[in-house]
Amino acid sequence: MAIDTTSGPDAIESVLSGVIAASTVDETEVLFGRSEAALTRYTRNEIHENVIEGDASLSIRAVVGKRVGVASTSRLDDRAIADTLARAASIARLSPEDPLFPGLPETGPDPRALAGAYDAPTAAASPDARAAAVARIAEKMQHHQLHAAGFVATRCDAVAIANSKGTRRYFESTDASVNIKAIGDDSSGYAEGFARSLGQLDFDALAAVAAKKALDGHDPEPLRPGAYTVILEPPAFREFLGYLSWAGFGAQSLDDGSSFLAGRIGDQVMGTNVTIRDDFAHRLSPGIPIDFEGVARTSVPIIESGIAKGVVYDSYYAHKLGHANTGHALPAPNSAGPLPLNIVVEPGSRSTADLVRSVEHGVLVSRTWYIRLVDQKKMLITGMTRDGVFLIERGVVTRGLKNMRFNESIVEALGRCELADEQVRSENMVLPAVRINGFRFTSATTF
Amino acid sequence: MRFEAEAKRALDTATARGADYADVRFGAVHDEHVEVRNGVVSGFADSESFGFSVRVLRGGAWGFASSADISDAEIDRVAAKAVEVADASAKVKGRGISLAPAGKFVDTYRTPFEIDPATVPLEDRVRYLLDVEKEVRAAKGVTVGKASIDVWRNDKTFASTEGSLIEQTILQCGSAIHALAVGNGDAQDRTFPGTCGLFQTGGYEIVRKAKLLENARRIGEEAVALLTADQCPTGDMDVVLSSDQVSLQIHESIGHALELDRVMGWEANFSGTSFATLDKLGTFRYGNDLVNVVCDMTCPLALATHGYDDEGTPARSVDLIRHGILVGYMAGRDTAHVANVPVGGVVRSEYWGRLPMIRIGNVNLEPGDVSEEQLIGDLRSGIYMESNRSWSIDDKRLNFQFGCEIGYEIKDGKKTRMLKNPTYAGMTPAFWGACDAIGDAKSWVAWGTPNCGKGEPMQTARSSQGSSPARFRGIQVGVGYGD
Repeated sequence: MAIDTTSGPDAIESVLSGVIAASTVDETEVLFGRSEAALTRYTRNEIHENVIEGDASLSIRAVVGKRVGVASTSRLDDRAIADTLARAASIARLSPEDPLFPGLPETGPDPRALAGAYDAPTAAASPDARAAAVARIAEKMQHHQLHAAGFVATRCDAVAIANSKGTRRYFESTDASVNIKAIGDDSSGYAEGFARSLGQLDFDALAAVAAKKALDGHDPEPLRPGAYTVILEPPAFREFLGYLSWAGFGAQSLDDGSSFLAGRIGDQVMGTNVTIRDDFAHRLSPGIPIDFEGVARTSVPIIESGIAKGVVYDSYYAHKLGHANTGHALPAPNSAGPLPLNIVVEPGSRSTADLVRSVEHGVLVSRTWYIRLVDQKKMLITGMTRDGVFLIERGVVTRGLKNMRFNESIVEALGRCELADEQVRSENMVLPAVRINGFRFTSATTF
Repeated sequence: MRFEAEAKRALDTATARGADYADVRFGAVHDEHVEVRNGVVSGFADSESFGFSVRVLRGGAWGFASSADISDAEIDRVAAKAVEVADASAKVKGRGISLAPAGKFVDTYRTPFEIDPATVPLEDRVRYLLDVEKEVRAAKGVTVGKASIDVWRNDKTFASTEGSLIEQTILQCGSAIHALAVGNGDAQDRTFPGTCGLFQTGGYEIVRKAKLLENARRIGEEAVALLTADQCPTGDMDVVLSSDQVSLQIHESIGHALELDRVMGWEANFSGTSFATLDKLGTFRYGNDLVNVVCDMTCPLALATHGYDDEGTPARSVDLIRHGILVGYMAGRDTAHVANVPVGGVVRSEYWGRLPMIRIGNVNLEPGDVSEEQLIGDLRSGIYMESNRSWSIDDKRLNFQFGCEIGYEIKDGKKTRMLKNPTYAGMTPAFWGACDAIGDAKSWVAWGTPNCGKGEPMQTARSSQGSSPARFRGIQVGVGYGD
């Protein structure tokens, strides 16, 4: 039986079970993914790109003793699937043994899907619905003599996993997002929104935020590079957290020693007011409750009151390092090791407005751009401000600033920070704004 | 031609639904990846992907849809959906899209190669990589060794309502090694060849000429030595960059800056715009007189070389910078008229299912007349930097800061002590204006970048920036590590 673009969970499970039944290797895992991603993109208040991208793939991991091979295809007919199984088995037989390979994981009982992860109207959202949202944003911008660039997007994803140890999993999720850059003659402002349901996005309110930043930031002045107290709004803070997660919060980098947490589990590595965990079940960003081996995801404390508590694991690194599997495998083959995909930063006790009021002389950063890791062990990061950088004087945002480059160790910075009390979703993270003292700007621009 | 009947069906459906123009792309992508990490095969994968997309222009607005299901019913559904998307676009549009003429082409193109990768057994690739990676870790103190080989084959058919029907097979190969050393409170990386490996169009000869085994131990030893090397000093000084680092510099500060869709604001919310605005075309001094840059989509071996791009325009070479002056952009059919520049075959998509857009093609810095030795030999003092480690540039492509894996102090015309964490920074036109020597053709390499990101939904593309090593005067060095 083949799969097509309309196959439901039962038909998909039947095909995956058929692959496993037909397999002649020791262990077999089948991972199926299907997506329809629609994105309406605009600039100068007009739609200039508009896509609906459909894709599907079936990936087979074949295990022969401690030899592993992976093959995948987007063709979902019987012949192609049989050919893919043969290719995966052939690759496994060619591979040298990996003595540390623990076998496919036992995945236990089927975790339940989280309420709110799937929204049928979002899955069926039309091009007209997205265009109507763009029209509302454009209208708001025209009212302010601004123009905007950004997108309105909806998507629907299905993932199914089966293995020869009895695992059968199927989950669907939807997502919606909006991105608004309001552009004036010499300034810009940014707002974003993410939700599992298109209906939860408030386009008018977000357009107003972006427009206000662009208007407030007109006629920006340069600021001499140096160390300043900054308020990083969530889109800016997220970029730093992304590098922290990728380079520091997975078992592979802990094992090879390149993580800043290597040898420091149990140590105070950040301020006592910083708590970071990976949590797929947060109400603002409900995710798929399994990883790409079909193992139930768990909520993992990574930093608790500034103390390093641990990192995330998949079956390979759990076995290698003698730790419980936390359910954070990526699709095989995976040379990056397990990674957290749902970072949550716990909030503080004061509002963002109060944090701004607490700054005598500093900078408000709406968004960052092209941040990169300069030094992994130090977690030294460089990047640029973008789309709304403002001067704060005696607790008040007073004027727009020209953009600046920064070089800052995010680990050290989170040792001298205060978090705001309101969490928002930004991409797949949930986090508040943050105030950081002594944040280093190293050069300026003319815009 | 392959998929000819399916392509005709999609075009007929789009036309029947009211498309003013339509093009379709059917593709079959086959990727093989083998990777060894610390003595075991950490990645051994064989992936194939088949599907198609339909792009339509109706009422001056674009619509696009794609699917992995190549059945008649799905072709009809997706073609109709593309028209529906274009109709939605038309509800929020201004003057609308107009297309530059592309011509009608019925043709085939195949990447030339010497060794068909299919004739190199997978077990031979695995055995070779195990030997190479073992040699990386033969250097005492290496924490992680890695070695990898990639073979990418893309069979694609393009057809349009203007009568073009083009079948291409693009073959790309690459290989790389990586050494990570951890110790002394530090972590240091070395990669080879270049920054992310040697990736070019061609066959398995690309892997053979990379000479991984011959260089593996040296790369491992350098990673370990960096742990105890002196910190790169801070200050303004003369710099010689390796050809692979110049390649990265070209990519970030010339390639992206001269994508015409960015100049027009089409990437404003994500990848950004460009300082190289239309009013500067023909007059703006981008760099020193000796800086000459072309986008040559016909360049032998270069990673982006093909016969035609994904909107059916033939590959050609376009001048971007001539004697230091901005003279061109990379343009597509729907942007070229804005700057009155030619289309150059640079509109590409990640694969059959993604929207084609202007991508950095083969953006080459033409070689100079100075030997590699002379670039350093002429300096009384300076810093030599090699292989990129970090890269960041603002969203107008002006203010940049790059870090390299390894540096050497230059004293009296010779490379002396090793330096760790070398970084440099600057502003694009001033930096290229400070270029006073470019290495000769012997030192020129068509470096490939396999993972350039742009667009929303984000796509990765394979670009190339050919370069020799080059020298730059009075550059800010040591940024990020000082106060």
